[in-house]
Amino acid sequence: MSTTALIFTLVLLAGFSFWLGRKRSFAVVNGDAWKLHSLPNYYGYYTAIWCGIPALMITAMWLFFENTIITHLVVVDLPEEIRSLSPDRLNLVVNDIRNLVSGNIVSSDVDPAMRAAADHYIHLQAISQAALTVLVLAIAISGALLALRAIRQEKRARNAVERIVMIFLLASSTIAIFTTLGIVLSVLFEAIRFFETVPLTSFLFGLEWSPQMAIREDQVGSSGAFGAIPLFAGTLLISFIAMLVAVPIGLLSAIYLAEYASKRVRAMAKPLLEILAGIPTVVYGFFAALTVAPFIRDSGGLLGLDVSSESALAAGLVMGIMIIPFVSSLSDDVINAVPQAMRDGSEGLGATKSETIKKVIIPAALPGIVGGILLAVSRAIGETMIVVMAAGLSANLTANPLEAVTTVTVQIVTLLVGDQEFDSPKTLAAFALGLLLFVVTLILNIIALHVVRKYREQYE
Amino acid sequence: MTFQIDSGIDLPGQELGLVSKMPAVENNGKVSRDDRKTVGDITHADPRMTCRDVHVWYGDKHALNDVDLDIGKNEVIAMIGPSGCGKSTFIRCLNRMNDSIDGCRVSGDLIMDGQDIYDRKMDVVLLRAMVGMVFQKPNPFPKSIFENVAYGPRIHGLAAAKTDIEEIVVTSLQKAGLWDEVKDYLDQPGTGLSGGQQQRLCIARAIAVNPEVVLMDEPCSALDPIATARIEELIDELREHYTIAIVTHSMQQAARVSQRTAYFHLGDLIEVGETDQIFTNPKHQLTEDYITGRFG
Ligand SMILES: Nc1ncnc2c1ncn2[C@@H]1O[C@H](COP(=O)(O)OP(=O)(O)OP(=O)(O)O)[C@@H](O)[C@H]1O
Ligand SMILES: [Mg+2]
Repeated sequence: MSTTALIFTLVLLAGFSFWLGRKRSFAVVNGDAWKLHSLPNYYGYYTAIWCGIPALMITAMWLFFENTIITHLVVVDLPEEIRSLSPDRLNLVVNDIRNLVSGNIVSSDVDPAMRAAADHYIHLQAISQAALTVLVLAIAISGALLALRAIRQEKRARNAVERIVMIFLLASSTIAIFTTLGIVLSVLFEAIRFFETVPLTSFLFGLEWSPQMAIREDQVGSSGAFGAIPLFAGTLLISFIAMLVAVPIGLLSAIYLAEYASKRVRAMAKPLLEILAGIPTVVYGFFAALTVAPFIRDSGGLLGLDVSSESALAAGLVMGIMIIPFVSSLSDDVINAVPQAMRDGSEGLGATKSETIKKVIIPAALPGIVGGILLAVSRAIGETMIVVMAAGLSANLTANPLEAVTTVTVQIVTLLVGDQEFDSPKTLAAFALGLLLFVVTLILNIIALHVVRKYREQYE
Repeated sequence: MTFQIDSGIDLPGQELGLVSKMPAVENNGKVSRDDRKTVGDITHADPRMTCRDVHVWYGDKHALNDVDLDIGKNEVIAMIGPSGCGKSTFIRCLNRMNDSIDGCRVSGDLIMDGQDIYDRKMDVVLLRAMVGMVFQKPNPFPKSIFENVAYGPRIHGLAAAKTDIEEIVVTSLQKAGLWDEVKDYLDQPGTGLSGGQQQRLCIARAIAVNPEVVLMDEPCSALDPIATARIEELIDELREHYTIAIVTHSMQQAARVSQRTAYFHLGDLIEVGETDQIFTNPKHQLTEDYITGRFG
């Protein structure tokens, strides 16, 4: 039976055993369901879980190890002269065999030894598949039978199901955590390989970024400098401009929505603002590149300023607009979370609305607002598309928003686009940048979480 | 003392009003439950605020129906009545705290110093400085004790110099009977005080702007008996300088602190009178039902 069919059968079996378990629970109390410890459905779930889960787990394990074991068995049976090849070559041979198995190689003159090995492989696969089917069905059926036998009047099926649900939830969160951990570790290891060729200090404190490595000795202009400072400076400059736009506009519109707007205006304006967050960043990107950047260059020209056609200002402005909803939505929530009693207290003393907002609401909501702003900052730092399109690729170390700059994320993209040698410093630099960016955003998030948690303590 | 003088003046008028307006009388001499016109003397010899024909609607809901009532100078007037009868609604009219509620509409005359407080020309900010409010749940700002009390004087510019502010804070806390307990912790957050202390802080905060009328909406409902007793004492002392309208669910409290009592029932003002008379010899059957525990 193919794996898909097997899993399908398992699901059917589990459904069937749900029904059996339910029925059995009625049978053990002669139909008086109220005598049971748990509701009849729980006995059904209990049986279905015992039928399905162990069998599924075995299937997963089997599939996970099947390939390795079969390959091993095939390699062991290969002729001596192939087996004694270096591991690299051996790998190639194994690959060839696999290709033969899946029919990717159709040329007629295949080495008979290889042909034999491929046949052997197919044979083993068939055995494995059959064994799996028998084993799994046996486990499923015996699991269901055991569970059915365990059903008594006082059997605590409800508690058992509760425990399994808990384990299931735990497993899900573990998967999420391990995935994150895996990503971080793989970035970390590649970054360490990068730091073997480029010293950490010259990466962290270097003022020049030009990742083109000289391939031949006599090449000029390809210094291979990996100083991350210009990139982080560019990132900070653009994020700063973005926050300059997003924080005032976002905060003020949040205050308007939360304190002044009537219910109807609020119901209309809030979703409209949140649409801003739903526009794909690539759309913002070409808006920035095709509309805002030329506009800034032209108006700069009128003032006699020398503005490059790609500028940090254009990218920052558009990015600021993009993150307005982050600031406004979160601030709106925390402002609304300030108890009405605070407003009553202040207005009852004769304060006007704006005095109340300035002196009571904002101070009380400030930690939450700061949390929202920090989340928006992490979003700005991680943004790529707008910058690629509007701010350019040249790693200038400048504080002038009218010049072209580049950011960490953009450089990661350009480092990895196109054909690369995987272990050249140029490629590995992307991992180092990614790691550094991750650390920076993590620190920001920790600060944000910390602030938000502090905020919670105030009103609980 | 006040009570004796007042009753001498009021009682004959009440008798008269009763006979002319209220024909429906139960066999025990009380006005029948079905009659919703106000019984008793709604006027006061020396009124601070006068309310006539006051109606309040929340959207379509007619929450307060034709209320006439005087609030006398330097008296404590208690509002009692079953939950939802409109007590809070009424005292919130007196400093226009209803303004911030969506769909709330007030009609009628509410006169203070010869001016209708719902008039377009009325300065709500000044009104609220004159008519302060203490809420059911203590609601100190999450600021220091000092800043809580200094808040009102600051926004109204009552103090020119820093020392003036300090003086106002100290006297307000003293009047509220909180000074001895907090004088060494003025920079601690007001939210860190006990419930009873917080409520006295809110009273201090309200009297720091030097109001003439203080409205209190169930100020003791979140407090234990000892803190309640302190606040009742305080109300008695404050009566010397302020006019106080207090909403309460405790009839003992109304009897202890107030000179006059108003009984509300489902949006109607049923009976007004001297506190003693209301609690010993109510004229309306509904009032009798309420104070003897047959209702609410
Ligand atoms: N904001 C509001 N919107 C709509 N209806 C309201 C609002 N506030 C009060 N009401 C209604 O007005 C009526 C009077 O309410 P009010 O709060 O004045 O009662 P109360 O006498 O203070 O009661 P309690 O003793 O429970 O505080 C109630 O029926 C209530 O449902
Ligand atoms: Mg109330």
